[in-house]
Amino acid sequence: MAAGNRKNSVVVIGAGIAGIQAALDLANAGISVHLVELTPSIGGRMAQLDKTFPTNDCSICILAPKMSECGRHPNIILHPYSSLLSVAGKAGDFSVVIKEYGRYVDPNRCVSCGLCAEKCPVKVKDEFDMGLRERKAIYRYFLQSIPSTFVIDRDNCLYLKRGVCRLCEKVCPAQAIRFDDCDRTVTVDCCAIIVATGIDPFNPIGYGQYGYPEYEDVVTSIEFERMLSASGPNRGHLIRPSDGKEPKRIAFIQCVGSRDQKRNDYCSSVCCMYAMKQAIIAKEHDKEIETTIFYMDLRAFGKDFDKYYERAKSQFGVRFERGRVARIKKEDGRLMLYFTPDEGRPRREEFDLIVLSVGLVPRSTLKDLAETLAIRLDRHGFIKTRTFQPLATTRPGIFVCGGASGPKDIPESVMSASGSVVECFRYFDRKWPREVSKKTYPQERDIIGDRPRIGVFICHCGINIAGVVDVKKIVNFAKNLQYVEHAQDLTYACAQDSLNLIKAKIEELDLNRIVVAACTPRTHEPLFRETLREAGLNPYLFEMANIRDQCSWAHMEKPDEATEKAKDLVKIAVAKAQNLTPLQPLKIKINPKALVIGGGLAGMVASLAIGDAGYEVVLLEKERRLGGNLRRVYATLDGDDPQAFLKRIITRVTSHPKIRVIREAEIESITGYVGNYRTKVSGEEIEHGAIIVATGAVELKPEGYLYGKSRRVVTQLELERMIPELPRYRNVVMIQCVGSRDDEHPYCSRVCCQEAIKNALRIKELHPLTNIYILYRDIRTYGRMEEYYEKARNRGIIFIRYTPERRPQVYLKDGNDRYSTLLVKVFDPLLGDELILDADLLVLAPAIIPPEGNVKLARLLKVPLNREGFFLEAHLKLRPVDFATDGVFMCGLAHSPKNIEETIIQAKAAAARAITILSRESIDAEGTVSWVDPLRCQGCGYCVSVCAYAAVELKEREGRLVAEVNEAICKGCGVCAATCRSGAIDLKGFSDEQIFAMVTALRG
Amino acid sequence: MWQPKIIAFLCNWCSYAGADLAGVSRIQYPPTIRVVRVPCSGRINPIFILKSLQSGYDGVLVSGCHPGDCHYLTGNYYARRKFALLKALLEFIGIEPGRVQFSWVSAGEGEKFAQVVERVTEDIRRLGPARYLIKDHGAEVED
Amino acid sequence: MELRSRIRELFQKGEIGSLIGYGRGTLPLSARPIFITEGGVDQLIFDITCGVNLAKYLLRKKPIAGQKVGIICKGCDGRAIIQYLTEGQLNREDVYIIGISCPGMIDPNRVREKVRGRVVTNYQMNGEEITLSGDGFQLTLPREDLLSRSCLRCRYPSPPIYDTFIGSPKDRVEIQDEYRSVAEIESLPAAERWNYFQSEFGRCIRCYACRNSCPFCYCDVCFVDQTNPQWFGKGVELTDTIIFHLVRALHTAGRCVDCGSCERACPMGIKLTLLSKRMEREVRERFDYIPGLSVEETPPMAAYREDDPQEFIQ
Repeated sequence: MAAGNRKNSVVVIGAGIAGIQAALDLANAGISVHLVELTPSIGGRMAQLDKTFPTNDCSICILAPKMSECGRHPNIILHPYSSLLSVAGKAGDFSVVIKEYGRYVDPNRCVSCGLCAEKCPVKVKDEFDMGLRERKAIYRYFLQSIPSTFVIDRDNCLYLKRGVCRLCEKVCPAQAIRFDDCDRTVTVDCCAIIVATGIDPFNPIGYGQYGYPEYEDVVTSIEFERMLSASGPNRGHLIRPSDGKEPKRIAFIQCVGSRDQKRNDYCSSVCCMYAMKQAIIAKEHDKEIETTIFYMDLRAFGKDFDKYYERAKSQFGVRFERGRVARIKKEDGRLMLYFTPDEGRPRREEFDLIVLSVGLVPRSTLKDLAETLAIRLDRHGFIKTRTFQPLATTRPGIFVCGGASGPKDIPESVMSASGSVVECFRYFDRKWPREVSKKTYPQERDIIGDRPRIGVFICHCGINIAGVVDVKKIVNFAKNLQYVEHAQDLTYACAQDSLNLIKAKIEELDLNRIVVAACTPRTHEPLFRETLREAGLNPYLFEMANIRDQCSWAHMEKPDEATEKAKDLVKIAVAKAQNLTPLQPLKIKINPKALVIGGGLAGMVASLAIGDAGYEVVLLEKERRLGGNLRRVYATLDGDDPQAFLKRIITRVTSHPKIRVIREAEIESITGYVGNYRTKVSGEEIEHGAIIVATGAVELKPEGYLYGKSRRVVTQLELERMIPELPRYRNVVMIQCVGSRDDEHPYCSRVCCQEAIKNALRIKELHPLTNIYILYRDIRTYGRMEEYYEKARNRGIIFIRYTPERRPQVYLKDGNDRYSTLLVKVFDPLLGDELILDADLLVLAPAIIPPEGNVKLARLLKVPLNREGFFLEAHLKLRPVDFATDGVFMCGLAHSPKNIEETIIQAKAAAARAITILSRESIDAEGTVSWVDPLRCQGCGYCVSVCAYAAVELKEREGRLVAEVNEAICKGCGVCAATCRSGAIDLKGFSDEQIFAMVTALRG
Repeated sequence: MWQPKIIAFLCNWCSYAGADLAGVSRIQYPPTIRVVRVPCSGRINPIFILKSLQSGYDGVLVSGCHPGDCHYLTGNYYARRKFALLKALLEFIGIEPGRVQFSWVSAGEGEKFAQVVERVTEDIRRLGPARYLIKDHGAEVED
Repeated sequence: MELRSRIRELFQKGEIGSLIGYGRGTLPLSARPIFITEGGVDQLIFDITCGVNLAKYLLRKKPIAGQKVGIICKGCDGRAIIQYLTEGQLNREDVYIIGISCPGMIDPNRVREKVRGRVVTNYQMNGEEITLSGDGFQLTLPREDLLSRSCLRCRYPSPPIYDTFIGSPKDRVEIQDEYRSVAEIESLPAAERWNYFQSEFGRCIRCYACRNSCPFCYCDVCFVDQTNPQWFGKGVELTDTIIFHLVRALHTAGRCVDCGSCERACPMGIKLTLLSKRMEREVRERFDYIPGLSVEETPPMAAYREDDPQEFIQ
């Protein structure tokens, strides 16, 4: 196995979503990656999930394309089923030894047909399905595994354990079984290491009195996730384990293994959201199901989370109960849940199924790994990081992303993954351009004007196809189709000798279009297209007929009908092939310079990351001073000094040779596309290849609560700098959610709870006798910030919950005196009575709202805002810093409210994403793009409206408006083509004519 | 038993993947569909569906990503509008409602894909061979 | 006549440099569109024979010497213009809209049905009745027997936007059973519906008068005339013909303002607005959109809502 260039490689440990994202960003920036994964497939926890909140996207649908990109990227070497043995050397020059476990199946021969597993006599519990189903001793980790090849579980294989059986070897049609396989070690030199080992779900065996695992119908949330999944043990049929009945009443118990002094005193951050998601999905399975979530605080703090919460309540009727579940007991065969609510008397309820929303804990293997890597863990066992260096471990050159450093949801994992990539760049030479490994191909044959000469190759796939479909019949059938010059069968079309044969036939018979009838183009089209290129044919002169996944495997008992279907599929594919034309994807030249809009923390961190990696940056700040909101923050929860930090980075930014700062910048226009933007700013035109939007957000000016009417009412940000000078007040009252989570701003501002607790603790530090009251709706100190909530309560800070229906009331004690003490009236649900607090100081936590300028900037950039006015990313889960428009990224508060650490991570992520473009000389646009026939176009503009990428524009041409497609931007969805009434837009590769040929292929 | 011939337009990223998954999971369904892969359900011009009926298919199945899952962000939303009108129009002129059917199938829903094919096949079997809108190509004068 | 004096005034003030309006046609019951300058004002008429939708004549007309093109606009002409504005086919500032309230227009096909081959040379309106006369005959019929079906169910007799108005604009009219013709068809069993449309479209001779008179069929090359691909056959084969009409209904869905031009233009008297009306109702119920009322709103087939109904999708 090639070990990659020492000066040009990074080892990523763990191939969940974080590891995959890190590997892809590195690889796309021209760096070779060794991706090490302990299980037999990449994919990680995300692959186990059914859906993802808050969009209810199908998890595997969005993950699988990333997995396959990872699997075929020329810069990524996968080490599945491997672990790290040792690390030597230092940052910039590590030597890593990787142990690859023997799979006992030759991955180059295995065609993933699954015959072996069918015959294997050993059944064991399936780890991927959380033991809810059985697998065989020879197995594929999960259906969409990459690599997709099988592996033998040595601990359970009869032959490996006892020397008998070998059934799999007998039935394998590809002779892929290798009982003489063994573990191997590989030594890899690299500059940096990224740890992305993720999390484990908390194991609730013996936890509390919840009856896990004694009661079969008490399951963990990850087990429930598999139960819901369409590819799970019951194929998405939601039944309870004990008796296979459909549950009608489901309870979710929150904070199992989280926020618990005895176990884990941190908040796992994601459980509130995933429980709501599971409750909603359960209801989608069966409208009759009643779902109840038992919780302490509802922590819906992320982007669009609160709206999801509201929908769960109002649209789906999920019931929320605040309080503590004391225990679960089986009484007369029925599951009884004993519950002590915050308000009201303890009670008992019956449920059919109870889901424990288990927290996230460090991976069990992390402790050993940390020792091997010589990095430190925090007291919870996660990798230790610091507020201003959230992606660095304690050892230089080793970085961390994803759940390994603390609970994170998917977008946070993805952001930290991209961010960790940026940290690696400093160890590389600053060569430009950095190209992905290049391969040379013969000159492409010009076939324009030649009549089609089609070669058809029918794959047996061992017996996977040939066992059902009569391949010989198909070959004879194909031979008689129009323009088919050659047809033959192949045992394995994807095997190297077959590929060589296809190449030889192309040359020998002057074939100019190729059809392969085999498995699915989703996995194999790239391979065959590559073969065409190697034979000097344009890769788009290729079409596949899917006669395995969509034919022989789906009609195993109906060989005749399957054969007829396969004939039709081949005929349809040949019809398309007759109409194929060569396509030349546009090469887009890249200008390796970035424009960063906004000189606050996010913009500066992003600029530094890009500048440090060796690319030029122009940083625009609309004000005279850099620093943005951070200028007003004087402390962090962990006790770091933000002002000293700010000073340092301002100095670095202003003295950086690659960074140019334009202050009081006014953007007039932005034109162009990825790699080639032109921005007019303050009268000057700047050319650049990528854009980062870091325009921040502002504090809402509170209305009500006497703000502006009494000197004693301030905001948390105003309080920040007052604290050192604060007099020894008797009572300080803080009100949370001022303008957040209401109809106008239906979202959580995320940082206010942390901010209030931080400032309360700072005041207590100075004046221990000051009484501090925090009036809140839910305390949302997610992650490790929960410690400080606990600390605040221990210090005697008083927390009083209020509901939006009964907001606190504030009035002046003494008439109209602006200096008068204030009275705060609040209903205390614990007392069940109204409290009147005498406040010397009232501190409001106003919402974080987007700045007004967002609307104009969004229009200039042609990018969307969400309903609240924050910038809207391309995908909430997997593209959290990207816009749908290539080459434009976002970070910081412009995206949504977040704290300093999160802002730094996202800024670095945006920088990394930008560098994946800046680091290359050119990028290839899609080959399948739309094009316009100007003579047919009427300029009605429907195509412009329906394009999600702003790739179509109306341009003046001979005195009238005509649509024009920018090939650099077009993604090839074809929506414009289907919308055009006058047949003026068509999609290359899926043209009207090609689809017509397919539709009409079987007629007559 | 009579096997109808059904053309299925499947979007590459969800429904085509769902069909693959059905196969990988060896879920069996009737061998009635002939698949045309398109990048996105939004690519499907309603004319393709009319042309399919004219070409003699007994039925048409169109399947894309669930709303919100579209690989191209919003393609299926536009598709949904087109399909709604086409469906209303076809039924208005008397084409049986079961002839042309629509579904959302995700890449993870192999089982659902099989069920959809099963159901569509059953519906069309009940309707019998297509009678309307089929062009008699023997009498063709075009081209 | 107020019409002529007002138009003359507009020419004299320089508000318009040319005008699209109606003049007497060669047949007594159908006025013809005329494109005039000031000298032609005396040819102008406006009565119940002015059915032709004029909006289409505006397309690609540019202001001459900076002077706007005036256009006489009934409700449906005005709504077509609004739709053009949403489709970028016109500049608002190039056009001077002269609103006029529409009394409802005669459908020559319906007249032909009634007079059975005789030639009408004159007509007279008396309240709700119309008297047709010709060589040796006179026939008095209620208005609704002769008016265009589209006019009888028209809710917008006046254009929603205009620069000046001749007479006074009429409010929206409430119509009880706007979709009666559609509902009548829908009440038939599916097989009978098919038979009905088969016989209706079986009469089509592919003359394309419907398309040519339609304000929204403004493509330079209609899909049906295209090659690469040839979408459908061009002969009078029944399935090709039906599909032509279906696709035309889809192409005008969310745009058609039910001016009835297609139906009046059809020499075979095919009830073409059945399809467009069916689409209109679907668009209104499903996407909450009525064409030709708002310049700002994106046309429904170029827009979507996340919660569009999808009861028909499994």
